[in-house]
Amino acid sequence: MEKVLEILGLRVYYELPQGTVKAVDGVDLDVFKGEILGIAGESGSGKSTLALTIAGLLRPPAKVISGKVLFRGIDILRLSNDELRSIRGRKIGIIFQDPVTYLNPIYTVGFQVGEVFEAHRGGKILKYLNEVINLFKAVKIGDPERRVYSYPHQLSGGMKQRVLISMAIAEKPELIVADEPTSALDVTIQAEIVELLNEIRKELNTSIVFITHDLALLLEIADRIAVMYAGKLVEVGKTYEIYKDPLHPYTKALISVLRYERKRRPTPIKGSIPSLINPPPGCRFHPRCPYVLPKCSQVDPKLVNVNGRYVSCLLVGGSDGGGS
Amino acid sequence: MTLVRYLVRRVYHSIPTLVGALLFIFILVRVLPGDPARLIAGPEALEEDVQRIREQLGLNKPIHTQFIDYVTAVLKGDFGRSIKFGTPVINEILFRLPYTIILALVAEAIAIAIALPLGIISALRPKSKTSYIASVISLIGASTPVFWIALILIYIFSVSLKLLPSSGADSPRHIILPAITLSLVLMGNLTRITRSSVIEVLSSNHVLTALAKGLKDRIVITRHVLKNALIPIITIMGLQVGNLLGGAVITETVFAWPGIGSLLIDAIFFRDYVLVQGIILFMVLVFIIVNIVVDVIYAYVDPRIRDVLWRMS
Repeated sequence: MEKVLEILGLRVYYELPQGTVKAVDGVDLDVFKGEILGIAGESGSGKSTLALTIAGLLRPPAKVISGKVLFRGIDILRLSNDELRSIRGRKIGIIFQDPVTYLNPIYTVGFQVGEVFEAHRGGKILKYLNEVINLFKAVKIGDPERRVYSYPHQLSGGMKQRVLISMAIAEKPELIVADEPTSALDVTIQAEIVELLNEIRKELNTSIVFITHDLALLLEIADRIAVMYAGKLVEVGKTYEIYKDPLHPYTKALISVLRYERKRRPTPIKGSIPSLINPPPGCRFHPRCPYVLPKCSQVDPKLVNVNGRYVSCLLVGGSDGGGS
Repeated sequence: MTLVRYLVRRVYHSIPTLVGALLFIFILVRVLPGDPARLIAGPEALEEDVQRIREQLGLNKPIHTQFIDYVTAVLKGDFGRSIKFGTPVINEILFRLPYTIILALVAEAIAIAIALPLGIISALRPKSKTSYIASVISLIGASTPVFWIALILIYIFSVSLKLLPSSGADSPRHIILPAITLSLVLMGNLTRITRSSVIEVLSSNHVLTALAKGLKDRIVITRHVLKNALIPIITIMGLQVGNLLGGAVITETVFAWPGIGSLLIDAIFFRDYVLVQGIILFMVLVFIIVNIVVDVIYAYVDPRIRDVLWRMS
């Protein structure tokens, strides 16, 4: 399959006075053409940092320590500011979590969407009024001819998120990074937005990296799922395989919670996500893992291929080669 | 039309403020020590003469009658006659006003011209030399008394270098020192507010969106950072101009600048309570007007405020 994005050994740290936050600590991941790749993780697992890195939007104090982010074979971490700018918004679009604060309150939404065209095609924003209206139709904003003149505070949350989505798809990018695009919305609106993203993917054959803490949502829309824990990927695989047969103990725990209603009482994951300043040695999940072995606190498991699936666990396909 | 309706409503809502201010001014002036009637009559006047003057001024009437007389007169546009000059108070104020206005505008213009770029650059490049200069200026502006700045400037430019006149308002050159003095004080505040406002907007999420679109840094800064950062800066500028239009008492006195501020000092020293009343009332009016103007500018910059303001009217 055709790779759109290839992440290799990516480490992104934040140098803070309290210490170094290892937000992304050795991530390898591919994104294929036209797929929806879900990245699931708790808050503080580094998934938003990963989103910003892919979109080329990292700002200090975030620092790339090592690794490559190859977009169509070009390492976007090594691009000049100008080269990066011509990719941002044109080849890679990003949708953020909170539609309220990600729009500028003092400009009309039509103007803010038109800026994408201005940035990549030049000329006056007014020239692109028709394109913006068409975009608004595409993301199902009612009464688009009037809505382009609305200010963000005059729109509902769902509407604002549609505006942000229309910005991200304006130049028909090859890749859209959606960082918790539905978390700030009502459940009904959530479903509509997810449906919209799915349609966009089919229509534009765009790849979407869908980042969320909501694994249930990913089971519905993602083709593949990558599970992130404390700055590392613990399992990557096809959605139905992950659901049917999770291999990593962390994934197992997450899936068992989802199955709660259908089966019996879930086993809650004890403890909480570790600090990214002082992550536990060895496997980062070992202090919370029900299947923990003595060596888990010493050996940091690699992400290895197990029958087409990637898992990082000493119990699974690791050095002792055992099954689950 | 909405703007006109809004302005009408604002003026209407200013009435309680104005009445409160009138009462406050009236009481304040009455409790000041010193008997104006005796002052006018002179130290060797007879008791009858003092009494006569008191009656002329209406000072023998009960205090509430005096207040009603005062308010009625003010509503008719009559601010009374100055005891010292014998002329209508309004004439005295209007005669001094151009001097105060020009001094206020020149000082504010100098302050804006220097403080805004300084504040912006120091926010964008926190470790640069400009940023260092900006902190020094805000420190000096915020911590140095005006009269001291004035004296130092007079010492350097008038006494030592003999370059600029130190008092009066006879030529355009006379405005230079008082304007610089005032602007230094304004600059301190303005630089600090500009800097912190720009820093705050820089870290806001919508700036990230602007970057994600692929906009040029220059456009992101001017369109999505500076314009948003302007809102708190406008407040400070409005307050500063409002303050200055009421007369820069100390600066005008030190440089013998014939504005409202020095008129007020003269009036106080002469116990010219009518004039004092008039000037303070004038200051209140200036403040009310400046506040309305600032709100309108606000509404122009920020559509959220525009919606709220217009909807209320």
